Amino acid sequence: MAYFLSTLFGSIIPMCVTALVTMAITLIFKTSFTTNFAQGVISAFGAYVVSSVMTSNGLSIWLALPAGMLVSMLIAIVIDVGIFRRGRYVNALGKQIITMGLISIVVGATPLVFGIVNPGFTPFVKGLISFDLADGNVSFPKNSLVCMAMTIVVIGAIFVLLRYSKWGLSVRATASNEYVAGMMGINTHVVTAVSWGLAGAIGALAATINASSGNTVNIYFMTNYQVFAFLAGILGGFSTFHGPVIAALMIPLANNLVQYAVNVMGRPDLTGWSMVFVYGIALVIIFFKPQGIFGKKIAKKV
Amino acid sequence: MKKYLNKNYALLGKTPPKDERFTKVARALFFNPIGHYILFGVLCYVVAYLATNKIIPDLIPYSLQSSLAISFSFAIASIGFCLLMGYSGLASLGTGGFIGIGSYSVHYVMYQAELPLPVAIVAALLVAALIGVVVGFISLRIEGIYLVILTLGLSEILRNVYMVVEDKIKVKNFELFGTLIKKQHSLYIVATLLVVVMIITHNIINSPTGRAMLAMKNSTAAAQAMGISLIKYRLLAFVICTMYAALSGVMIMITIRSIQASNASGYYALITSLNILAAVIIGGFKSIWGAVFGSFVMYGMQTAILQDIPFFAENPEFITFISGALVIIVVMFFPGGLAQLILELKAKVKVWYKKIKEGIYGKDLG
Amino acid sequence: MARILAKKNSLTQKNIIKLRKHLDFYREELASLEGKYDEKLDKKLNEFLIKGNRKIAKLAFEACNKEQYAEAEFEAKLQKYDVRSYMKQRKLNHGIAKKIFKKASKGEPFGYLLVSRDKKMRALDKKRAKYIERLEKQKARFLEKNSLTFVVPYNRKKAALENEYFALKAKLEAEYTAKLYKEKSKIQDKIIKNEKKLSKAKHKIKATHTLPDDVLLEVKGLKMYFGGLKAVDDLSFNVKKGEIFGLIGPNGAGKTTVFNCITRFYNATGGDMYFENKYGEVVDLRSFKVHDIILQGIGRTFQNIELVKEVSVMENLLVASTRSYKTGFWGHVFATPSLKKEDKMLRAKAMRILRFMGLESYAGWYAMGLPYGILKKVEIARALMADAKLIIMDEPAAGLNDSETAELTETIRKIRDEFGVTILLVEHDMGLVMNVCDTVCAISFGQMLGIGTTEEIQKNEAVQEAYLGVSEEE
Repeated sequence: MAYFLSTLFGSIIPMCVTALVTMAITLIFKTSFTTNFAQGVISAFGAYVVSSVMTSNGLSIWLALPAGMLVSMLIAIVIDVGIFRRGRYVNALGKQIITMGLISIVVGATPLVFGIVNPGFTPFVKGLISFDLADGNVSFPKNSLVCMAMTIVVIGAIFVLLRYSKWGLSVRATASNEYVAGMMGINTHVVTAVSWGLAGAIGALAATINASSGNTVNIYFMTNYQVFAFLAGILGGFSTFHGPVIAALMIPLANNLVQYAVNVMGRPDLTGWSMVFVYGIALVIIFFKPQGIFGKKIAKKV
Repeated sequence: MKKYLNKNYALLGKTPPKDERFTKVARALFFNPIGHYILFGVLCYVVAYLATNKIIPDLIPYSLQSSLAISFSFAIASIGFCLLMGYSGLASLGTGGFIGIGSYSVHYVMYQAELPLPVAIVAALLVAALIGVVVGFISLRIEGIYLVILTLGLSEILRNVYMVVEDKIKVKNFELFGTLIKKQHSLYIVATLLVVVMIITHNIINSPTGRAMLAMKNSTAAAQAMGISLIKYRLLAFVICTMYAALSGVMIMITIRSIQASNASGYYALITSLNILAAVIIGGFKSIWGAVFGSFVMYGMQTAILQDIPFFAENPEFITFISGALVIIVVMFFPGGLAQLILELKAKVKVWYKKIKEGIYGKDLG
Repeated sequence: MARILAKKNSLTQKNIIKLRKHLDFYREELASLEGKYDEKLDKKLNEFLIKGNRKIAKLAFEACNKEQYAEAEFEAKLQKYDVRSYMKQRKLNHGIAKKIFKKASKGEPFGYLLVSRDKKMRALDKKRAKYIERLEKQKARFLEKNSLTFVVPYNRKKAALENEYFALKAKLEAEYTAKLYKEKSKIQDKIIKNEKKLSKAKHKIKATHTLPDDVLLEVKGLKMYFGGLKAVDDLSFNVKKGEIFGLIGPNGAGKTTVFNCITRFYNATGGDMYFENKYGEVVDLRSFKVHDIILQGIGRTFQNIELVKEVSVMENLLVASTRSYKTGFWGHVFATPSLKKEDKMLRAKAMRILRFMGLESYAGWYAMGLPYGILKKVEIARALMADAKLIIMDEPAAGLNDSETAELTETIRKIRDEFGVTILLVEHDMGLVMNVCDTVCAISFGQMLGIGTTEEIQKNEAVQEAYLGVSEEE
């Protein structure tokens, strides 16, 4: 039981990070109709900003976080306004490739701005929570709970905004048909730019959470979560907002649970295969339900 | 001789046909795309010889052979991707994982079992074909961006399998046809296989198979009405693409000799798939030469050219920065890639030439 | 048991398809053999001529130049002489005219002066004739001297070459005729062998259905339901051989659904479709997959043109004959000579069709920039390329202007008459339908309203109500 609880609490950080990145990617996918491959590195760039503000100005992480989010947000808005709208012949595939080019640009720019040494990081709250159960000790950092609370607040706020605000309505209209939304008087440019900005900010938050638990920043350290997020997007179904987020919570949890099960069965040598197993299950589900678990089937006209 | 022949034609009152002006061999080499590929291979051999023996180190440095070998290894995968995306209209981000198939078969066949290179290649191709069939079947149900993400997931599965099975793989010097192949000799093998791949791809895209693939890309309904079986050609496209990627993995392995799978920016990760895609885009996604050139831009330019410039040697990060900017500029302003750019330039040069001629000889020259 | 039988049947069916592909190839090859050696003969003879001429070319060049030189020199000398003699004549005439004027003004006789002038003139003429004679002699001597070295061997060699040429021609012709005969008989043997195999295979599959003599396509009780929606409900009609059959109906009547059922894009919920394929057998269309329909001889065109935009018109036609290539994938990979042979044959066939459609000059053009009317024609040509017996056209006049529509009408009639194809079309343009169709079938909400000639349909009350009545109300 204690081991099971430790597994659960240990999954909090990956779940939070994946959920946030998935939210960001879904926002961009719905409004710009492209998968943002640069999400990971832009988020990581935000974490770099947080770290440098902390170390150079001696500010606490709580004050540095908004700075990082702001920078990521500005980068994302610049990408949308400065690049996506300028290209004369840019189509869906072209947009994806542009985001790939952005990866190289951000990866190249990061050492130029912040130096080559990976900066250190401090958690939001220091200390461990530890208690004893009948069959052992359960302990996990307090930081996890803070991160979870922040994630819940942010994602909850975005869902509320999407559901009840005028901007949310515009996003949903743009997602269903950009052209018609434009004709209906929605300024799709603003909607897209705001979505990109929001996605950038959420990404920076996710990267900061990830960095605060691992105490280090690396430009590639969000790539795995980004892959999770894409998979979660189609596993949950890009046609809704809640689907991808739920799927995003499931993937890291499933990974840890598989590891737990393997260990309980007494085969710790198999833990490495847990990711393969989870991916395999996800792919099988997608193969049989291409629209995703929560997705709606769209009839195709010949 | 040529002059004399032309005189004969003049006497007979005939103009010489275009293809009778040169000897048969010259015609096959210079006026035939396949001849161009062979010439390219010969050029690679010459460069490899000059570089490894350090004959003109100022012009062809020793490091050139390794950067060319790496970029041409990736060019094989790029050509396969070209066939998949430019001709069949299917997209995939699984290239990184598929490349691993080749590398691992080299590790197991050549390093562990100590069998010769051709066995490793055959093993890699067989496994790749199997995986290609699986992806092909998936592509019948799932299309577009979903397929892209699915192949990305598949590639991640493969990478995780690699990480668990054997994180670090390597290969020693080996013998091929009685000669010892060291690390610096890999360009010979890579260039040979690249030329073979180029010729085979050229044949495929100019054959009924290539036309069927194009028809399928344009409209699946029309293709089916014309008797083209989607399942056959989708499977074929994916099988060819994965096989090329695996072959490319074999070549990368014998060029680099030691790879770690768990590296997030390594050869089997998402970044490789993205780079291959970018290479194809830069080159123009329907051009074989474009794919080769694009791979050079993505993988070889840094070590071959830019490092000699002092500024870039001091700030190697700028190279990554510039390659990213290049990709974006190409996508934004030249959607057909460099192949299209060259075509446009050719047309422009023709116009300029005509204008200059008019300026010299007057307008009514005909 | 039934499943095993079906599997066996499908195996035989595959075998039949393969045998037919081979048969088609051999027949086409036989046809293409006709002119094959003419070209080769021409080439060889030409080569011979070039080779021979190369040998005597130098001689010919110089011999012909000597003659010209002599002629030119002759002309030049004569001209020089003439100029000089003209001056003399003028001087003479001038002097005599002066004397005559003097004598005449004094009143003295001057007739003798004229006589002496004539005498002098005649002498000059004689002198000129003598000079010409001399020049001729000079020229003859010159030519004689040179012809010994140039002209005679040239003429001799030329004659020898001609003789050799005719001998070679006769020899080659005999050789090629023998070769051609041999090849032809070889192919004919293959054809006979394949036909035997084919008839054996065909015996295994028993015809389950027969059609009346003049019927090409029989649709019986066709049903197509999408969930609860009855897109087509119990529709039956017959398409006769060689007619132009129009299917009309208001929007959402299920016309395109009928098409998609016949071409197997949709799997019909119920009903039967029988078709007399291009080999004269009656087949159940429901037993074929969508990409095998074309092998039975049903081609189709699309409402929004579905050509491959990035290749030429010619290659677009070749796309339709993908299934008629005998060479397999490995042949394509290694670009084998047999593939090249087939390619050449099919290109010739495509060119014939393009020539017939009047699109010859567009063969090398990219499909991307061509006008809509031409692309429509290319689509029809593509259907013809697959030897279609029935061409299904989905709104052929959509997006065309009046003159283009008129041209299309002509084309449809022309291909019906020349290729003997039957045409089944769905159309909104009533002008085109009433103009070109022999039989019209009107449907509404998936059900038949009426079928008959254009006049009958125009008079049909149900059709007027459902179709034309709407426009009257508006």
